[in-house]
Order: sequence, then C-alpha cells, then structure tokens
Amino acid sequence: MINMQAEMEAAQPIHAPPTSFWRKYVFSIDHKVIAKQFLWAGLLFLFVGGVLAMLIRWQWAFPYREVPLLGGLLEGGRIGPATYQQIFTTHGLIMIFFAVTPVLIGTFGNLLIPLMIGARDMAFPKLNMYSFWTFVLSQLLVLASFLAPIGTAGAGWTSYAPLSTNVGTPGMGQTLVVAAIFVTGVASTMGAVNYITTVIRLRAPGMTWMRLPLTVWGLWLTAILNALFVPVLGSAALLLLLDRSFGTHFFMPAAVAARGGGDPILWQHLFWIFGHPEVYIMILPTFGILGDVLSFFARKPHHWYRGTVWALIVITVLSAMVYGHHMFVTGMSPLLGEGFMLFTLLISIPSMIVVLNWILTVWNGSIRFDTPMLFALGTVFLFGIGGLTGLYLGDISMDLYLHDTLFVVGHFHFTMAAGSLVGAFTGLYFWFPKMFGKRLDERLGKAHFWFTFLGLLLVFGGQLLAGYAGQQRRLFDPFQNPVYQGLAGLNRWTSFFAFALFAGQFFFIVNFFRTVFSKRIQPAGQNPWHVTTLEWTDSASPPPFHNFDRIPLVVRGPHEFSNPEVQRLTGRDFAGQAEVLPGQGEPAVSAGRA
Amino acid sequence: MSEPMVERREPAGEDVSAPVYGLERYRHRPRGEERTAHVGMAIFLGSWAMLFIGLFFAYALVRTRAPLWPPLDAPPLPRLIPGLNTLAILASSAAMVRAVRSVELGRNRQGFQGLAAAAALGAVFLGLQALVWGSLWRAGLLPSSGTFGSVFYAFTVFHALHVAVGVGGLTWAAFRARRGAGRSAARLWSWYWHFVGVLWVALYATVFLA
Repeated sequence: MINMQAEMEAAQPIHAPPTSFWRKYVFSIDHKVIAKQFLWAGLLFLFVGGVLAMLIRWQWAFPYREVPLLGGLLEGGRIGPATYQQIFTTHGLIMIFFAVTPVLIGTFGNLLIPLMIGARDMAFPKLNMYSFWTFVLSQLLVLASFLAPIGTAGAGWTSYAPLSTNVGTPGMGQTLVVAAIFVTGVASTMGAVNYITTVIRLRAPGMTWMRLPLTVWGLWLTAILNALFVPVLGSAALLLLLDRSFGTHFFMPAAVAARGGGDPILWQHLFWIFGHPEVYIMILPTFGILGDVLSFFARKPHHWYRGTVWALIVITVLSAMVYGHHMFVTGMSPLLGEGFMLFTLLISIPSMIVVLNWILTVWNGSIRFDTPMLFALGTVFLFGIGGLTGLYLGDISMDLYLHDTLFVVGHFHFTMAAGSLVGAFTGLYFWFPKMFGKRLDERLGKAHFWFTFLGLLLVFGGQLLAGYAGQQRRLFDPFQNPVYQGLAGLNRWTSFFAFALFAGQFFFIVNFFRTVFSKRIQPAGQNPWHVTTLEWTDSASPPPFHNFDRIPLVVRGPHEFSNPEVQRLTGRDFAGQAEVLPGQGEPAVSAGRA
Repeated sequence: MSEPMVERREPAGEDVSAPVYGLERYRHRPRGEERTAHVGMAIFLGSWAMLFIGLFFAYALVRTRAPLWPPLDAPPLPRLIPGLNTLAILASSAAMVRAVRSVELGRNRQGFQGLAAAAALGAVFLGLQALVWGSLWRAGLLPSSGTFGSVFYAFTVFHALHVAVGVGGLTWAAFRARRGAGRSAARLWSWYWHFVGVLWVALYATVFLA
C-alpha cells in the first residue's frame, strides 16, 4: 500500500502554481479554476434562459400585452409570433446545453472528480482547458445568432426537420445555433474523455470502485453516456448543417426537395438516440450528489451503497435503449413501439431502487436541515413527481393522448429543471465552501430554497394540469382555441408563480456575489459540514494548486457515519476516507466497509 | 486493490534504456502517463466512432426509404480508383505498423521512413479521391442532386477531412521519430490512422460496392 502511494506520488509530481494572470485565471489548466469558469459561464446563461422563460410565461398570461422592462428589446414592445418561436426555442437550447450542462457536469465534474478520488488534477489538464474554451466558442455562436438578420433559431429546441431546414426556418440564426450545438458537443466529448480516463487511472491507492463517493459514480456514468451519445447528436447536427449550407437533402422530404428527397424522421431518430441518454446525462450527476449529500446530512451511511451503484449502472445501460418512446406518434411499427415501452417502464425499477435507498438513508437519521439538505430533500420530492409522470408518457396508449401537450412540458421540467437544476443547487450550496472558502448565508439560502421549491412545484404542477386538460405546448396564443379558453386563468396563475420563482432567484444572486466578494465573511474552514470524503478531510478550502500535499491512502468507503467504534476512538461521529483511527496503526485491513 | 498506476520496474540490474534487451521485452509496455494517454485515446476513438455510427445509421435509413438506389439518372460510381485507394490505405496502415515497431525498438531512421511512407500514401489517397470527386462532379453528380449525391459527398468529404488531419499528424510524428522522440505520439497516431483506414473500408464497401 505505502509503496503504491509512493508510485502515485511519482506519477503525479507537484508542479509550481502558475503566477501570471492569464495562466492563473484565464487559460488555466487547474481543474478547480476551470470548474469555476464553467460555473460563471453556466450561471450567466442560466439567467438568460430564465429571462426567456419569463417572456414565454408573460405571453401565456397576457397575450399581445406590452412586455414590461424588456419591451425595448422586442419589436413594438410586444412578443410577435416569430419572436415567440425564437424565445421558446432558445430557452430550451440555452437551458439544456449552455446552462444546466456546464453547471452540473462542467463545474462539478471538474471540481469533484480529481478531489474526490485523490488526484492532483485531471488526466489531461490541457484537454480540460480546450474543452472549456471550445464551450465558450459555442456560447458565443449562440449569442451571435441573436444578431442574425431575421433572428435566431425558431424550430424548437428539438430542431425537428423539415422545420429546421432552410424551408422551415431560413436565415443565419438557425445555422449558427446548429453549429453551436455541434461545437458544444465537441467540448462535451473532450470533457467526457477526460473524466472517464481520470477515474480509471488516477484513483488514489485504496480508492477501489466500491469506495468511490456516489457523486463520482454519477459523474463517471454521465461521462460515459456523453462520450457515446453526444457524437450521435454531432452527426445529426453535421447533416443538418450540410442540408442548410451545402444543399444536401438528408432531411428534406421528397415533396420539398427538387430531386430525390430525404427523410424528416431521420432527424428524430438521430436526435433522440442522443436525446434520451441526454436526460440521464443531466440527472445522473444529481443522483450521485443526492446519494452523498443525503447520507452526509442524515449522519448515516448510504443505504445499500452497492445497490445504488448497480442501479445507476443499469439505468445507464437501459437509457440507451428507450429513445423510441419520444416517437410513438411518428408511425413507428407497433411491435417496435411496444419494445421501447417495455424498456422505458423497466427503467423505473432501478430508479425506484435509487429513490428508496435515498429515503431509507434519511429514515431514522439525525438530520441536519442545512440549506444543502433542504435542496436535496426538495430534489427527491420534485424528481419523484417527474419520474411518476414519466410513467404516463412511457405508456403508448396514454402517450397518444398526452403527446405534445403541456403535460410533457411539465414532466420534463420536473425532471430536468427541478431534478437536475435543484440537484445542481444542492451541490452548489454544499461544495461552495470548497470552491470559494466561505459558506453561503443560511438565511438567504433557505429563502431561496422555499421560493425555488414551491415555485417549481406550482409552475410545473400548473403545466401538468393544463396539459392533462389537453392544452398543446408551444402555442403562441393558446386561447384562440375555444377549447382552451377555460384554461386562461390556470395559465395566468402559473405565470404569477413563475414570476415569483424568478424573483426568488435574486436571493441566490445576492447571496452568491456577497459571499464570493465580501471580505468580512469568516472562512468556512477545511471541513465545515463534518463529512468524510477526501476533498473535505485531506485538503484545505479552497484547495491548493496541487490539491493534496500527500496523495491520500484510502482505507474505507465514503459514508462512515455514526459508527460507535469510530465514536469511541475519535469522539466524532464520522471518519474520513483516508483517516487512520488512533490505535489502529498500519491500516492493513480497512476499518469500515461501504 | 485497484491495479497499480505504475507497473513494477524491471528486475534490478537490467538496463531498460539499453538498445538491446531481452527479446520477450520486445514490445514496450506503456506505464504511467503514457498508459493514461493510451486509455484516453481508446476512449476518444470509441466516442468518435459513435459519430460515424450515427452517419451510417442515417445512410442506412435514407437508403432503405429510397425507391431506387442508386437513382436512374445518377452517373455510376467508379470502382477502380476507389479500389486502388483502399489498397493505398491498407498499405499505409501496414507501413504504420512497421513504423511503430521500429520507433519502439529505437530505430529512429526506420521509424521515420515508415511514418513518412504512411503519410505519403495518405496524400496519394487524397489526390486520387480528388480525381474521383472531379470526374463525378463533371458527370453531373452534385450534393444537391438528391440523397444519393448527398450521401456520397458528405461521407467521402468528411472522411477525407479525417485523412487530411491524419496526414498532418503522421508527418509531425515522423519528424519527432527522426529525433528519437515521440514514441507515444507514433503509437497514438497509429491508432487514429487504423481507425480512419477501417472507416474507409466500410465506406468503400457500402457506398461504392454495395
């Protein structure tokens, strides 16, 4: 063991930290700095995406009414039909690719993987830097698309052909956005290769697979899905770009193409082969974060750690086999449809194992209701609703009725906005002291939590109701249809809750900037939450450039809480993953099991 | 216990850096950072292969939906020159195998020659490919003339871009090999090159022959 520690030390020598401004803060190869860069870039776009969402809600509450505050940016101060299309399109794209993905995967993947497995940096630090700057390029492409002559992309975030071809959406805007999707895919792939390799090669001695914190498991499985399926989206974007810019006919139906048409359904296949794994790409890191955080704040070992790990692996595998459930109404063969339905419903089994393990972890724990724990519990509840409504949509006969209604919108917002985003907030509140050395204010944090939790519940709950009543999604003015006129009140109330949800985010913005820049706030100390994983027990807050003065020697699993033996020897209710308990000497046998 | 990051060293007394060591040690076993680079490259190629799997999926779908393939008004695709190109790619991969072996044995000059030959064959491939494009373009096959032309140009041009990147990389690796450096670079570029070669064989079989 000791020998292996020396070998890992030799393989990862300590380098002197960079001193110049550019190397230190801009073109940094330090995974912690890159994590913060992803955080800033992601939060900025999260705000933009949120503003776009508010515009959609304004339109559904008060169609044709002049928009307050932002009216100056719009033609005539109102939202027109074409602008409306661009708003909901870019809201979806920005939130998924340019806000949640960088915050959840870019930030936590970069920050946590090396720190939690006991490595000095990523396996390929330079590739990591290239990944971030490629990502920035894709963000710039999206911003540029807003300046295009007839506006940005307007074919929906799914960019279904032929609406997304030159026939449906002419102009440079859509082309730039499709290019941005390709470029961000390249950035994701680079990151994924890095994450996978780092976990395989750079785990500290003693950090066996079954001692990995669940967060690392979540991020690692995410990276595998990213590496496998983001390139498929790349192929689709590439073909669409060729169709738009070089006159090829991959997606143009025969009726539109001059000679020999392509197949619009092809886009849906390629898009959803990527798109369904993508929703698990966005939720698996959250699953991992919740697994750890719930255990940390319930002061109990995670219930059936191995079960959760295997359930996550099964989810990863199954997620690649269900994409057809997005296409039940495309005229797919019923036999094929039933196969996809079967696999879709099968995913609920491993998902339930994960959720039950969370609940049993918290059960009978001595819970500490700090802000991260509130967010974690909120995520469990909101994601639970998202998961249960998924059962309706996975079932063909139900889906035929609910397809393309606001029920779908409510469902995927409960999983992706509520599940992934609130999961990301959980991680942010929890690892903030590690990133910036200071804790976020508890009172503002709790106010932020209640606004976010109740806001999401009411907004997306309202969408579920409206969808169940039959309201189609993406309509510019739904109330032109007499059938929906009775839903105007519901839509307006949902919008009010959405505005409250948005307003509640200012608690976070104030909290964030105040804590990062204020000099008066006390440093949080190395391990403010009294938890077990390496980044807290073996490294300072924020960690030095080389992370660990000495590569830790891991002796136990990640959730050693409330063990009476540990309590007797140390007087604490937890033991770090690399901690040698007094009187135990050479850790020939690990003191605890995961 | 996980697999050690750094393999155990050779038994004491044996000088690993000497040009001649035991024949059973003929193949260099990568360690440490070099091995990490290999793992990363394998994952990257697997990931990139998914891009091409997506493209081939698109090709299969478009082709099965087409009423007639190739369409009646499309000029017939040549088989001879692309066939020669297949041979060029295969020969280039073979040269690459020899080059990597030479570089690992420390025979810098042979390594340089092998890599340079592989790169030159890649350039030949690109030249012949340009001939094929030119003749078909003149015969009236354009990217905009239906899905047949779309598939043909999209696939061959996208593949040729990969070959062009490979030619650049191999040239760079060749000059490093001449200086006695870049053992790892030669091996990693060889993987990429074989990957591009296998892709071409699949392309030749599905686009030109079948």
